Amino acid sequence: MIRITHLTKYYRAVPALQDFNMKISKGVIFGLLGPNGAGKTTLISILNGLTPFQKGDVEIFGMSLQKNLRQIRKRCTLVPQSLALYENLTVMENLHFFAGIQKITGSTLQNNLEHAISVNRLQRVLAQKAGTLSGGQKRRLNIAIGLLNTPEILYFDEPTIGIDPESRNEILETIHSLKKENQTVIYTSHYMEEIEKICDEAAIINHGEVIRQGDLKTMLHETDDSTQTLNLESLFIQLTRDNQEGADA
Amino acid sequence: MLKAMLKKEFTLILRDKHALAALFIMPAIFILIMSLALQDAFKSDHPFIHYALIDRDQTDLSTAISTALQSSESFIFHDKTITDKKQLQQALNGALQFVLTIPEGYSRAVRLESPDIGLRIDAASDVKQDMLTLFKGKLTQLSTQLSIQIMLQELEAMLPGISKKSEAIQKANSNIKVYFSGLAPDQHPTSTQQSVPSWIVFGMFFIIIPMSTIFINERKQNTLMRMQAMNISFPLLFTGKIVPYMLINQIQVWLMIGMGIFIVPLLGGDALSLGTSITGLFLVSLGLSLAAVGTSILIAVSANSVEQATTIGGILNILFGAIGGIMVPKFFMPQSMQTLSNISPMSWGLEGFLDIFLRGSGVREILPESLALTAFGGVTLLAAWGIFSLKTRNGL
Repeated sequence: MIRITHLTKYYRAVPALQDFNMKISKGVIFGLLGPNGAGKTTLISILNGLTPFQKGDVEIFGMSLQKNLRQIRKRCTLVPQSLALYENLTVMENLHFFAGIQKITGSTLQNNLEHAISVNRLQRVLAQKAGTLSGGQKRRLNIAIGLLNTPEILYFDEPTIGIDPESRNEILETIHSLKKENQTVIYTSHYMEEIEKICDEAAIINHGEVIRQGDLKTMLHETDDSTQTLNLESLFIQLTRDNQEGADA
Repeated sequence: MLKAMLKKEFTLILRDKHALAALFIMPAIFILIMSLALQDAFKSDHPFIHYALIDRDQTDLSTAISTALQSSESFIFHDKTITDKKQLQQALNGALQFVLTIPEGYSRAVRLESPDIGLRIDAASDVKQDMLTLFKGKLTQLSTQLSIQIMLQELEAMLPGISKKSEAIQKANSNIKVYFSGLAPDQHPTSTQQSVPSWIVFGMFFIIIPMSTIFINERKQNTLMRMQAMNISFPLLFTGKIVPYMLINQIQVWLMIGMGIFIVPLLGGDALSLGTSITGLFLVSLGLSLAAVGTSILIAVSANSVEQATTIGGILNILFGAIGGIMVPKFFMPQSMQTLSNISPMSWGLEGFLDIFLRGSGVREILPESLALTAFGGVTLLAAWGIFSLKTRNGL
């Protein structure tokens, strides 16, 4: 579904992604893990056609991203880390606006609205201004907006940042439920337990390179002596430390 | 797609009380205040110089001067007893602009052509030079005219009928009618004709405040980035800003015109008359609107925060307004300032509106202003586009 080969991106002279390779299959929830500045957000921006890159190829749905950007975008959605919505509009007005600019009308609009609202449990706050919602409700509205075009690929950039554990669990359940609809989710987070809880596959990236990628369960069982089971946090620390030592050497 | 963007922008503005106050209430209040405050300054038949007179001469000439001054339509006589310096000072610190003293022996001095004794004017310290010139001119005219009359009366015995002939000449000379360019014979320029266009122009540029607030919040919260990921192109994004704010500008123009026509007269001011060219009015207001929207978008894309944008926008508006003849009408400015005022787009818009409201001009006359404003709007929009593209490429 997504194939990234030899992707290189520089911000002026500073490398953000270097000879980056990755493959993501259809219908998986894919976790992107990495410390701050590892290149996660840059990668998400590139996959959404928001940031140009210098070298390499990106193919989504078997099409070149650069040549077919508009078609690819129609089948994807981005749920940004920040609350990209209008606080002075009601929940319903926000949903109608983002549906309107994507030319979603008629019965499709009705069906997609109902789906986005029910999946995110927003029925009771539809007439409320977004600015008056709780942190968790705002995050759910942020996700609901992303579901309006019934995307095949959803990019979530740290969608649970700054909210209470209960709301976080609700959001994780929502994202997990998307798997049933065969939607592909690319999920970035600082929280290892979130990735462990909902992702099928993951990639650990550091300094703009993939240092480990694969099935999450397999990754957690692959240790040096192949006898010890790790949790994701200790694997992450071990891999990023090794990567740092390698870079220093 | 555009419909959704227009609806969103209108809803956000309608819910922003501060924006509504800046866009509609502020210019409306300015129109009311300035139309009523400057009402007298525009009336040619309205007395506006307040004076008192001390007649120490008590002769026919001094009485004639006093009577003639009191009958003049430009002066208001205050009957005050002024006998010493303290009373004089108090009078000039109050409502009076001038105290005229006709000294003892003035009449005799006029007859004997003695320059030693003359009229004395004590003026308030804040009196305007043009008022003083007008008052002095009137006195010179009256004393000359009355002196000639006295001399002619003395000559009547030798030249019978000369006094009547002189009176007829004076009447003919004082029969002056003024016709204002572009106005009907019975019309004269009013403070409303001057104030309405000024504060319409000023109010239109205040869209900087709501536009930059919404735009910068959209940028900061990554709503613009989200829209871009939803295939919203730059031209559409800019159109989604330009169209609603141009519509808001047009609503401002017609509401403020309505204020001038219907509300100002209710409060005792002169009613605004629209002039003869509605097409010209549309062309000026559209050009002006494009210039205001272009400036607003340029500031919105250049500033890093709402605070920065509203500060820069506010200062720029006041500077454009001060230079452009909004706050101080251009005819009060010296020639050098009038030339400088041409750098302000507000001045072009104001001149265009004044051409229509005040000078009765048509499309042909306002075309240069309208085209200059459109070009200014185009250039600022292009600059905004360039800056926005650059910022977006670097991650908004």
